[in-house]
Amino acid sequence: MKKMFHLTAFVLLCVMTFTQVYGQQKITVSGKVTDGSSKEPKAGVTVQTGKPLRGIGTTDEDGIFSVSVAVGEELVFTHSGYNDVKKRITAADAGRAMNITISLKDASLDEVVVQGFRSTKKAIATGSSTVISGRQVQDVPASNVISLLQGKVAGLNIQNNTGSPGAMGTINLRGLSSIKISGDGMLTPTSPLFIIDGVPIDVNSGFEYGFQSGGVGVNPLALIPPEDVEQFDVLRDAAATSQYGSRGAYGVILITTRRGKSKVPRVQYVTNMFLNVPPPLREVIGGKDERMTRIRTILENDTSLANAYARINSSLALSDSLNPYYNNSTNWQAYSFRSTINHQHNISVLGGDDKFNYKTNLNYYDEQGIMVNTGFKRYSLNMNALYSPTNAFRMQVTLNGSLGMRNNGDGIGLIQPGNAKNANNSSIMPPPSLFSENNSALASVSVQNNNKTVNISSSFDVQYELVKGLRLSNLLTFNFNTGTTNSFTPSYLNNDISKSLNQSDRSSTLFNRSILNYAKNIGDHEFNAYVFNEVQSVDAKTNIISLRQTAGDQIQGPIGYNSLLSAGGILDNLRQTRIHGYGGSVAYNYDRKYIVELNYRLDGTSINGPNRPYSENPAVSAKWNFGFEDFMSEIPWLSSGGLRASWGKNITPTGSIYDVHGRYQVGLPYNNNPTVTINQNVVPNENYLPETKTESNLALEFGLFNNRLDATIETYYRSIDNQVLGINLANITGFTKYNTNDVSLVNYGLELTTRFRITKDMNKPFQWTVNFTGELRRDVLTRLPDGLRQIETTIKEYRDGRLLPGTSAIHKIGKNAISNLLYHTSGVYNSTSDVPVNLATGIRQQLGAGTGFYFQGGDPKWTDINGDYIIDYNDMQPIGNPIPRMTGGVYSQMSYKNFRLDVQVAYTLLRDIMNIPLSDMLTAYTNPFSFSAMLPIDNYKYWKPSATDKSVGQGGAIYANPFDYRRAGTLNPFRVDQTLFLEDGSYWKINTVTLAYNFGKNLLQKLHMTSARVTLSAYNVYTFSNYSGPDPELVTALGRDYSGGYPKARSYSIGLNVQF
Amino acid sequence: MTNNINIKGYRLLAALLIIVAGIGCKKYVPQERETVGYDSRFTQEVYEPILGRTTIFSNNFFRGSSTNPSSFKLINPRRRNGDEARELLDTFPVKVWKQAYTGEEKTLAEIEAKRVIQYRPLFELNEHSGEFIMWAEGKSAFMRTLPDSAYLFDVEYSNNGGRRYFRNLKLMPYKERPYEPSNYNVLTGMSLTENIGASRIFLIQGAKTGRSLGYNDIEVYIRKNESLGLTGNTLTFKFLDTLYKPMDPALFADTDWPNLLHGFNMIKTNTSVTYSVAYPIPLTKLPTKYTNTEGTRANVNFGYSRLGFAGITMKASFGLSFAIYEPGSWEIVFAFVNENPKFKND
Repeated sequence: MKKMFHLTAFVLLCVMTFTQVYGQQKITVSGKVTDGSSKEPKAGVTVQTGKPLRGIGTTDEDGIFSVSVAVGEELVFTHSGYNDVKKRITAADAGRAMNITISLKDASLDEVVVQGFRSTKKAIATGSSTVISGRQVQDVPASNVISLLQGKVAGLNIQNNTGSPGAMGTINLRGLSSIKISGDGMLTPTSPLFIIDGVPIDVNSGFEYGFQSGGVGVNPLALIPPEDVEQFDVLRDAAATSQYGSRGAYGVILITTRRGKSKVPRVQYVTNMFLNVPPPLREVIGGKDERMTRIRTILENDTSLANAYARINSSLALSDSLNPYYNNSTNWQAYSFRSTINHQHNISVLGGDDKFNYKTNLNYYDEQGIMVNTGFKRYSLNMNALYSPTNAFRMQVTLNGSLGMRNNGDGIGLIQPGNAKNANNSSIMPPPSLFSENNSALASVSVQNNNKTVNISSSFDVQYELVKGLRLSNLLTFNFNTGTTNSFTPSYLNNDISKSLNQSDRSSTLFNRSILNYAKNIGDHEFNAYVFNEVQSVDAKTNIISLRQTAGDQIQGPIGYNSLLSAGGILDNLRQTRIHGYGGSVAYNYDRKYIVELNYRLDGTSINGPNRPYSENPAVSAKWNFGFEDFMSEIPWLSSGGLRASWGKNITPTGSIYDVHGRYQVGLPYNNNPTVTINQNVVPNENYLPETKTESNLALEFGLFNNRLDATIETYYRSIDNQVLGINLANITGFTKYNTNDVSLVNYGLELTTRFRITKDMNKPFQWTVNFTGELRRDVLTRLPDGLRQIETTIKEYRDGRLLPGTSAIHKIGKNAISNLLYHTSGVYNSTSDVPVNLATGIRQQLGAGTGFYFQGGDPKWTDINGDYIIDYNDMQPIGNPIPRMTGGVYSQMSYKNFRLDVQVAYTLLRDIMNIPLSDMLTAYTNPFSFSAMLPIDNYKYWKPSATDKSVGQGGAIYANPFDYRRAGTLNPFRVDQTLFLEDGSYWKINTVTLAYNFGKNLLQKLHMTSARVTLSAYNVYTFSNYSGPDPELVTALGRDYSGGYPKARSYSIGLNVQF
Repeated sequence: MTNNINIKGYRLLAALLIIVAGIGCKKYVPQERETVGYDSRFTQEVYEPILGRTTIFSNNFFRGSSTNPSSFKLINPRRRNGDEARELLDTFPVKVWKQAYTGEEKTLAEIEAKRVIQYRPLFELNEHSGEFIMWAEGKSAFMRTLPDSAYLFDVEYSNNGGRRYFRNLKLMPYKERPYEPSNYNVLTGMSLTENIGASRIFLIQGAKTGRSLGYNDIEVYIRKNESLGLTGNTLTFKFLDTLYKPMDPALFADTDWPNLLHGFNMIKTNTSVTYSVAYPIPLTKLPTKYTNTEGTRANVNFGYSRLGFAGITMKASFGLSFAIYEPGSWEIVFAFVNENPKFKND
């Protein structure tokens, strides 16, 4: 028996030796894969061999692998995002532990970018796009993940102009896309189209509710858990977005969520605790000081002393200082602002390989707003799975469900009128209570306003290769959004009339796309062609019920309300739109050096005019990779280089079906019969067109010094045509307005994206990379209807949270598309004799024709453009550009051993904004009888009369006399629409600072973890700006700093990220 | 060799950079410019100033879709028969205000220091607003006036976006009416009546009948009287009784003589009161204590008090709201033609 064993062993040994000798024998090799930068074992690295490559194993959580392979074969270690490592196996490797180090890819040419409907290597992409890894937005808690992309993508201008949790700032890709200003005084949002795992999300709709608030208040992008994002693809030019042509005019941002790629399932838990701190609050004059300021103003400026005393005595708040009701020094801001501690948790389970993988991600996020009675909560469950048993068949399912809950207090979206008004109360007034009648203050804390948004989106993508190279695929997505608002204002806040408002809305998007794709390689010639068709159907509807005078503050219905004051029904934002498109693409690529791509699509939308049902959207693009040319190999410092150009068209439907077909309405009864009449407000336009973007793009990409410096310089010229503008019709037509498509604007600019690796050696423990992005852009209005060269739109203003008809924006051909219509202020009249005198009449310059209101010392010096000695509308001029011309950022990533320090800075330059808070602050002094907060103005050089003569000032004043309250009501010396309050809104902002520490391997092994990381981060750290107002970013898209805004919190967070 | 290629590589990269950046910087957009709109027009095409007073025609241009700043130019002023109208092209010495008139000036010199002589066309167009000014120095002696159809002229309206011509605007001045209230025929420039009436009469009772005097009982003459032998610009008030004999101004004891009008150096005799004044009266359309509430006319009031029936104090007064446009020695005469006022107590 023993002999037998020995014999067998010998024979086996002989056989093994034999195979070894002849290279047919397989040996077992094992080893460990480590990450080049973190020096940690790398799990999930695929070990492949053969031709074509096939996977023969993966590394476990300790980076250990063990595979059997024939001697002489080559092992290829691959991992997504890392460079492939190749290792030829020799007989000596048998039994020896191999140490493999894989490093992160640094050549951006190999990044996978998505263009059109296919993913491609950046080197052969002809369109303009940028990839941002999801890692760059993690570690910093933010309710809306998009806000963290600020300054990271050249050409993407994100202004986080509201701190309201769950809301969204403004996003514009490559500049202004529309000059349309909505009824509530906001610029119509033109965010790029977001596509989350194939599901299109339109964030521009739902703004009909007003105040830059989509839907009932939760922005769909706020429902994306940041931890689940794998990468963002920002598609900029017409070639990249060509296949999203039916809605891609404003650019496209693709968001891809993570998927499993490790055979061993991984469980990851991420948590963040963060402290939100309100910005420094304003200094306010309190109590007695405020009262004495008001009294002094009246005594010194009234017509007579007797009259002044009479007026003071008739105002109890001024004269009756011993009355406890008025004897206060209330700190109103303390009632509105607070610091909050918030947290978020994320658990994900991922696993699988190329054949089958899955992911489940659970997210919980809770942020209490820094304004009382506001907050946002998010619950989400995201799942996806991919099944691809053979190369020919691939199936992918995504199912995302999320629930957002938002408490708005008595505010809406962007603005918080209640809290703003509240914070602007006079300190003399008693603090809010049931008996003190400061309703807005009480309302902001006791109005119940709960918004809930449920979003379910799913996609089903299946691909099948019919014959070699011919692939049929179909993508079906469905996105369903439903939101409810319940708001209740108790009766004691509203003159005994309680208000109950219930609103529910739902919107759904069904989208299907079928593609037939053919790919063929002949030597170095690669062909790829596809045809597709797509259909999209969008439905939205809102129901609302408003009940007044309910039975009580506890009983909110269903009976007992006042039926005369109550109403309910479907809101007129009901819409159903359909889009269908057909198209195709042909791409040709020779040896990755010369690439040409042609795209064409035809789009029909249900809101095109019946005479113009289809829009053609062609795109052409080409690229020359001169870096791959042979002669380049002789230039050692140039590691890569490419030149690409594109031209193409995209559309975005705007307007509604009523603009095209008109509208019927229920008319007055005739002979006791109901009638239906034509709505004569807007005359139908049969030639109505969607907004069309035509864009040309030219870019130079290069890498220098072994790709230590990567740069892309890009220039573009795009024209946004067919924008809607209503022109008024003569009343003889029977209609009021006609919506034309005759507005065009052009953006052109230069974009720069660079990445500089400061440390030379990739294997040193200290690594430092700096990214810089920037753009310089100009927006020019190029066309207006009716042969006009200039039009005007009124922008409504908010003062103390009230909406007032206000100043105007002006659109002038050849000038920046939006500018302010302003009086030009050139100082203050120091004395009455400085006021210009009409030569013919001998009368001083006056305000308005025939008003008899003459300027005097201490009044603002407004330039009389037309020289008629009358300051009026004719003297206003288009001045300033509220749209930033330069945006971008700097992103620095440093690592040393297990530590990592990331700092991100965003900047916005060349922008004019209006300092309305300063205007409000000075205006508060012009009416001593209107009780609003008074802020110290001693630092401002305002006009003061000299001791001897009240008509002569002391000189050196910048601001008019704020105490001349008898004339200020007419003069309005601190009106917003003057250049005095137009300031440079440029800023540099340290957006995020993150310090992370990865725990060492030994500790992890003890804890049975694969990785653990602790992060400390700060968000919205500091803003450098010359702007004298509170925050140059916290302004509307039209550059107006409304005091009713929601300030941004500064947040500090501590986070933990563990993986099992 | 390597060096050479290196330089070539730099050159290639630099050239490409310049091309890309250069294309980005070039402008392919329309220029910013002002507009002359098709809908802009003069809302007043016939200008009928009264000569001898400075008249401003404002709010006479509808801007429409035109944009500011823009310029107006009066061109080709001509008579109806096409002859060139030299009198509208030449410049004349006119009195313009340098500083604002306030009504608070203490001396005549202070007022005069605020006005200077400048040479200007008589019918002037404000360069940027389109307002017309007819200066007071335009006289019917050398200008065509109504009922002649007088002058035609064109206006060139322009800015850097283009120009437009508004043709055949009409200037048809009326002859001078040197004072208001006027008793002149607007077309012939001849006075229709010898006198005008008072503007206000309160509680003046007749000495003879005791009835309240009415507007028929006081005749007011506004006339230039060089025979008084006064130098400079003066205004004299005289009061005549039924026999056209001068009354002593002191009888009107309630009159605030120093502040009667914005005049200086009052000379009060027992027949008249004379002030040195600056013409026109009122100097500007500015409400002051000397004018009516609109500032268009000077207000003068004369009064006296007496005890009436049952010992009631009767504060009697009469007054005139007037304007005088021509400089010179003027007198305003109030004649009690039917009955003298009663000054005695009842």
